Amino acid sequence: MHNSHGYNILTVGVGGTGVISATQILAWAALEDNYQVRTAETHGMAQRGGSVVGYLRFGSNVKGPLIYKADVILSFELSEILRYSEYINEKTSLFVSKDILIPPSVYTYNIPYPSQDVILNHLRKITHHVHLIDAGKMAKNAGNPKTSNVVLIGTIYGAGKLPIQESSLKNAIIKFVPDRAKKINEIAFQIGIQYGRKIKEGFYE
Amino acid sequence: MNKPDYAEDSPGKELILMGNEAIARGILEGGAIIAVGYPGTPSSEILATLATMQKFHSHLMLEWSINEKVAMEVAYGGALSNLRSVAVMKHVGLNVASDAFMTACYTGVRGGLVVISADDPNCYSSQNEQDNRYFGPHALIPVIEPSSPQEAKNMIKDAFTFSEKHKTIVLFRTTTRLNHGRANVILGDIQKTETKPDFDRNPSKYVCVPSNSRRMRKELLQRLEKISEESDSYPFTSLTLSEKRINGKKFGFISAGIPYAHLMDALEYFKIAENVSILKIGMIYPPPKKLIQKLLENCDEILIVEELEPVIENFVKQIAYDSKITTIIHGKDVFPIAGEFPVKLYLEKTAAFIGKEFATQELLESDIELPPRLPLLCPGCSHRSTYWALKQAEKKLKINAFKSGDIGCYTLGVYKPLESLNAQICMGSSIGVANALSKVQTDKEPVVAIIGDSTFFHSGVSGLINAVYNQNNFLVIILDNQSTSMTGMQPNPGTGVKITEESGTKVILRDLVKGCGIPEENIWIEDSNNIPKMVEKLEEALQAKGIRVFISRHVCSLLEIREWKEQKVVMPEVKVDPEKCIGCMTCIRKFGCPALVEIEYNGKKKSSIDPSICRRCQVCIDVCPYGAIYCEE
Ligand code: SF4
Ligand code: SF4
Repeated sequence: MHNSHGYNILTVGVGGTGVISATQILAWAALEDNYQVRTAETHGMAQRGGSVVGYLRFGSNVKGPLIYKADVILSFELSEILRYSEYINEKTSLFVSKDILIPPSVYTYNIPYPSQDVILNHLRKITHHVHLIDAGKMAKNAGNPKTSNVVLIGTIYGAGKLPIQESSLKNAIIKFVPDRAKKINEIAFQIGIQYGRKIKEGFYE
Repeated sequence: MNKPDYAEDSPGKELILMGNEAIARGILEGGAIIAVGYPGTPSSEILATLATMQKFHSHLMLEWSINEKVAMEVAYGGALSNLRSVAVMKHVGLNVASDAFMTACYTGVRGGLVVISADDPNCYSSQNEQDNRYFGPHALIPVIEPSSPQEAKNMIKDAFTFSEKHKTIVLFRTTTRLNHGRANVILGDIQKTETKPDFDRNPSKYVCVPSNSRRMRKELLQRLEKISEESDSYPFTSLTLSEKRINGKKFGFISAGIPYAHLMDALEYFKIAENVSILKIGMIYPPPKKLIQKLLENCDEILIVEELEPVIENFVKQIAYDSKITTIIHGKDVFPIAGEFPVKLYLEKTAAFIGKEFATQELLESDIELPPRLPLLCPGCSHRSTYWALKQAEKKLKINAFKSGDIGCYTLGVYKPLESLNAQICMGSSIGVANALSKVQTDKEPVVAIIGDSTFFHSGVSGLINAVYNQNNFLVIILDNQSTSMTGMQPNPGTGVKITEESGTKVILRDLVKGCGIPEENIWIEDSNNIPKMVEKLEEALQAKGIRVFISRHVCSLLEIREWKEQKVVMPEVKVDPEKCIGCMTCIRKFGCPALVEIEYNGKKKSSIDPSICRRCQVCIDVCPYGAIYCEE
């Protein structure tokens, strides 16, 4: 943990895909572990299909909500992470979902969507810790594609990149999902953890 | 509904709250009775949160006002009747409210009155970046600003007492990162005010005729003088002096709000928080004179860290001049006036100021061009239908209308591919501005004002009455989607639902427009999503004479799908027949519903619909010139 700056997690993606709820879940879990917590989130206009971001900081003495360099970045969409290169340094771990949401500007501005290889190559030039996750598929396996944010939370925990207790994370996840979805979210969380462990053990990139 | 944890009467409990939730909690704890406002990012969740508390705290009287001026007047009326009151708005809302605000400050208040202004550095969701701290010296009332959600809660709670003590209105200023950021918040006790509401019939105190106002202005200045004396001991202001030197110099900092929080992180980062003097200001205006003097006297050089305008800096320089202190004062010579400060900037500027090495890592150059991801009208949004139909009608008539736009989701029609707005400044301006534009219009370039339902009620209606009276003739399109969507689907007079979800009285748009003097034959009401009918009727309306109102009505898609879900209505899936699709891409490149995507089909480019985001509105069926889009009945 970067002591004087707490632990910094950036969650990025597209409006309406669970970026903000992931930030909220992590914030509550950090509270349960008695951390000081700060977040800054995109609300309002940009949430209409725009690029959204949740900044999260926790530690023993954090004050401002914005981040200098992130310890971890969760990208819920393949290309979105490229908008946040300024927060990445050689120590940052990137967990990037394979899921793609084509922005209509691809057609209206005629700018092609960059390929997976181009994106990963660029990121790997900045940090070695780049992990590509099939979050959508794992969420589907859990029983609901909407749980991919919980899958990713599980993944970073399993990979040893989230200094929060498993029970706190679980409680926070349960706090924010309706009763009927609790079971599925718990499964999604476990699937994520298993995958994260495999990353840690070097089975997967 | 379960009782939300932030509504509980459990002092000492620690929660994670968003700044706006913390402010709502502070309003509850402070014993406010009347809380009103008009939705506007980043302030909207404050009243929305209070609405979720209201069921458990029935003394709260909440209203969505039709605009900020009315909100200000309602809150003032509450304070006049000895009730603690609060008016909530975004920064530009205070411009609308300022007529009431500026003079209400003259009479002062009985019940505590707090006005919340949520400013938006970087214009994340706003048309400008004005700094409302200036309203303090402008209106001669105190301006306070919190630096964390916890402080926001405590500060607003205290502000009601402060307001009553000094009989003054208090301006509570925040910025987006405070409103929309979460942090630990420890709940306090919920104060119950014992004061009984009543009327104070005292015209010399409350009627602002010149003979009274001259006196009131002097009283206002006296009140300010008293407040000024207390600014140094304001509980949310603090000075820590350090005798330490860095590179032989004694350095000092002054900051407030969110910049204070980031400044403290930067000082910790360089491990110099103990080695410099810091003045943290909670009451921006009137400024804490003595503390500023003390800091200046103690330091060789100081840096003022504030976003937007040099408000604090100007006070400090004035105080330094008056007290003949020659400490070197930095502010806007170091930090920019425009925009929000990223953390990197705090680190760079702090390091440079104290003469420390700090090399920021060079960013890796990237030659990847990333398609922009701008906010968009939702799939199935009825505004897209109206813009589309208007384009078709113009094409048929071979005209190119000048489109005067307004504020709401439909402002997004400015972007590709619709590109349907030519001007837009503020709430209601579409119609106001069109009054003059109409004097310049020609048959080929007629003027069309485009405004949403909530914005029309807010301030569009006055521009319309002006047009009727002065015989300024143009077409007004009211996009009536029965919701204030951009800010989070709040109800409005046209829906007849109140903030508490109880039913109010519905204001009938057609009757209102008629009452403004629009003749029956110049009013159209059509379903936005019926494209053929819309095109036909818009042609009619574009060609008609006089001032005309076209109400394009279809409920906001987000509400529509919610309704379908509740009523278990399953709409048929909408698909593209790849055999019929010739790949002209009209639907994707000209209409632009985000659910439409390009695919390869037998080696050819075709259009297709992503079923996971399609809202099944069926509008694209009428958009495709080749009849390739269909729905499965
Ligand atoms: S929220 Fe409603 S009005 Fe706004 S873009 Fe979406 S569908 Fe349109
Ligand atoms: S039916 Fe057509 S226009 Fe409507 S949401 Fe689906 S793709 Fe978009």
